[in-house]
Amino acid sequence: MIDAPERITLEEWDLRYEKLYRAGLPQPAYGGPLSRHVSDGDHRLLKLRYDNSPAALRLWNFLLTEEDRLHRARAAGKKIVGTMKDLGTVPVMAYSFDNMVAFYPDGAWWIPCVMEYSAGLLEIADSLGIDESFCPVRAMLGAFVTEAHFPIPNMLICSVGATCDDFSAIAQRLNGLGHSIFWWEIPHRRCPEQAEATAELPGGLSAPRCQVEFVKSELARVKVALEQLAGAELDEERLSAGIRQANLVRQSLAELRYLAFTAEPCPIPALEMLVAEMLAIHYCSDRGETMVVLEELLDEVKVRVRAGRGVLDADAAKIFWVNPVADLQVMNLLEDCGGRLCGTEYLFTHALDPIPENVPPLEALARAALADPMAGSSIDRAERICSDVCRFGAEAVLISRIPGASHCALEGQVISEVVADTLGIPVLEIEVPPVADSMSPTVRTRLEALAETVRARRRSRQNRWRNG
Amino acid sequence: MKTIIYTCPYIPAEWIAAHGLHASRIVPDHVDADLSLARAEGVCPYVRSFIGQVMADKEAGGAVLTTVCDQMRRAFDIIVRNGAIPAFLMNVPNTWQTPAAQALYIDELKRLGRFLVQLGGTSPSDEALAEVMLEYDDARTSIRSAREYLSARRFADAIAQNRVCNKLHTLHAEPLVEGVPLALAGGPLMRSDYELFDMVEQLGGRIVLDATETGDRGMCPEFDRARLRKDPLRELARAYFGSIPDASRRPNSDLYEWLERELIGRAVRGIIFRRYLWCDLWHAELGRLKDRIELPVLDIDSAGENHLERPRISNRIRAFLEMLQ
Repeated sequence: MIDAPERITLEEWDLRYEKLYRAGLPQPAYGGPLSRHVSDGDHRLLKLRYDNSPAALRLWNFLLTEEDRLHRARAAGKKIVGTMKDLGTVPVMAYSFDNMVAFYPDGAWWIPCVMEYSAGLLEIADSLGIDESFCPVRAMLGAFVTEAHFPIPNMLICSVGATCDDFSAIAQRLNGLGHSIFWWEIPHRRCPEQAEATAELPGGLSAPRCQVEFVKSELARVKVALEQLAGAELDEERLSAGIRQANLVRQSLAELRYLAFTAEPCPIPALEMLVAEMLAIHYCSDRGETMVVLEELLDEVKVRVRAGRGVLDADAAKIFWVNPVADLQVMNLLEDCGGRLCGTEYLFTHALDPIPENVPPLEALARAALADPMAGSSIDRAERICSDVCRFGAEAVLISRIPGASHCALEGQVISEVVADTLGIPVLEIEVPPVADSMSPTVRTRLEALAETVRARRRSRQNRWRNG
Repeated sequence: MKTIIYTCPYIPAEWIAAHGLHASRIVPDHVDADLSLARAEGVCPYVRSFIGQVMADKEAGGAVLTTVCDQMRRAFDIIVRNGAIPAFLMNVPNTWQTPAAQALYIDELKRLGRFLVQLGGTSPSDEALAEVMLEYDDARTSIRSAREYLSARRFADAIAQNRVCNKLHTLHAEPLVEGVPLALAGGPLMRSDYELFDMVEQLGGRIVLDATETGDRGMCPEFDRARLRKDPLRELARAYFGSIPDASRRPNSDLYEWLERELIGRAVRGIIFRRYLWCDLWHAELGRLKDRIELPVLDIDSAGENHLERPRISNRIRAFLEMLQ
């Protein structure tokens, strides 16, 4: 069955699912109609629009069944590691063991959105003194208290140092509630001094050799802790194999991102791309299945690109998106307002860039960890954004502020200034709370204005070109 | 002599002074707030004022910031891009238990030293550093010993004054008011916040423990003189990085151990918890403090609008003291 790509509602997906099911759609064990997740409390799903491909269905079902996978892993005797904040480094180590899975409790920050506040996690955070002046990741505290959204991990590992204060403070609060945390330090990445030994990092960055050595020593501590938990040694061979597997995921995602951001018309919606990118961080608790899900999505996109088909108008304004959104619906809104994703920087480019395979594995991970955009300066981050804007051909940059996040207060100014100085393209900031319904008119107006500005600039460029 | 301005307690003034430069720990004020920042929402008032003061300073030879808080780390980006004076960002690890973290701190002091040399300073010999350290240590000992006969305001002023010039005017004893013994806890105070000490006394209390960053808590402890003579830089690092308790450290159990000890030692009956809006590190400690310390805690948040906040703060402190009396 060949259908035109389009964005459809949950209701429309149910009808389509029936058709696909009757036609013999092959499905994994976690498959099924998307609407069944609403009965689990995921009310936001009713308000989203989805890509209509079976590959997208699999992606969503994979995402929304992670909790079941974690419980199954525990039942199977596997050790569960809650990795916190580093976004992409420690899970590579954890998944190199046979008997370990890792996930990010930080991911609970989307629960208030997906469950439209019905889980009460933010109220619990409030009661613990972590109110709305903190980033929505405070929902994680509530999730630990209720134990209703993920099994309590056997071990918590949290990176601190050059991270956001919100998370660091919330993790400390969690620690104060009796959850033991293994802390490891990620220093602020700085420019090497003159004549100082330098190491290249993923993403075209560099750092002083001594900083790489320091992070390597920190990760060696993490490795020992994981080995004790697993009751097995993690030798270089196994860790290298884990890195190769991680790179396969990253490679697949890189291809998907390039097509999604550059093909015309846009072959896949922004929301599915956001979910796909998230898989690179910890594989949604199943690395092998992540590969299958991404490959299927990539195949779908390739077919669409070859056929010249897409989900949006060909003249959609090409927007580069900075920071993840707390409300998933805003990704839909961008497209409703005439925009399309043309590059992203969701604060984990270091989880997307290939991990070096030509150096010892622990050093490779240290280099990847130091390439974290959060670990470096806002100026570094802005320069990477400029480079990716050029690579994907974006026409404007949208900075989506995270409410309460310590880094968002000042970095937006730096990013805006650097992008404007370097590229001279429009930059717009919006702030997105976990459920943005009440702010939707304001956000919509701003997104529409951005899309209109981009199109006006296009017309102006075309006129100049015509007039010689 | 060039002046190097800074604010973080983990920057040893001795290290700057030993390089032949004048170390001045600035205490910004609300009126210094940088109004040129693109937005105020979400920015800690202290950071905003610090940025404003550094940007306005055309005389200083350089500014030193640290990574202790995320917003101060970001403030460095603003200052580097738009400021007029050279700036240095020192990596101060949040973890403190490992030899690697301690070694990183020492390496960062050495890197700061190279920055100071670039600004015209001279790299000190061990003997020169030791001499400066002893001088600062003596000054801090004088301040500590004056605690018993100074008002809380004068004591806080003495600490601040010491940080600006490492010289003290004679500390004359003054009549002390009787009042409910309180602790003031939190991050750094700004200049006009010092009126809190007077306010508390006027309302029937007395701050006997200044556990703010600009008070007792942020003062480095006495040096071990034997270790100082043997390896002054290592002793400097031990005293600053190894001993100053703070909310930013992971874990920050040492902050609570210090607090419990001091609260008991000074017979404190209540805690005024002073925090800035958008300061996550201290804000998150409020709940923990209430859980862990069995004393009444009064939360005083500030958005940096002292003139508007004064009546509210005064009323809250009055009520707090009435409850304690």
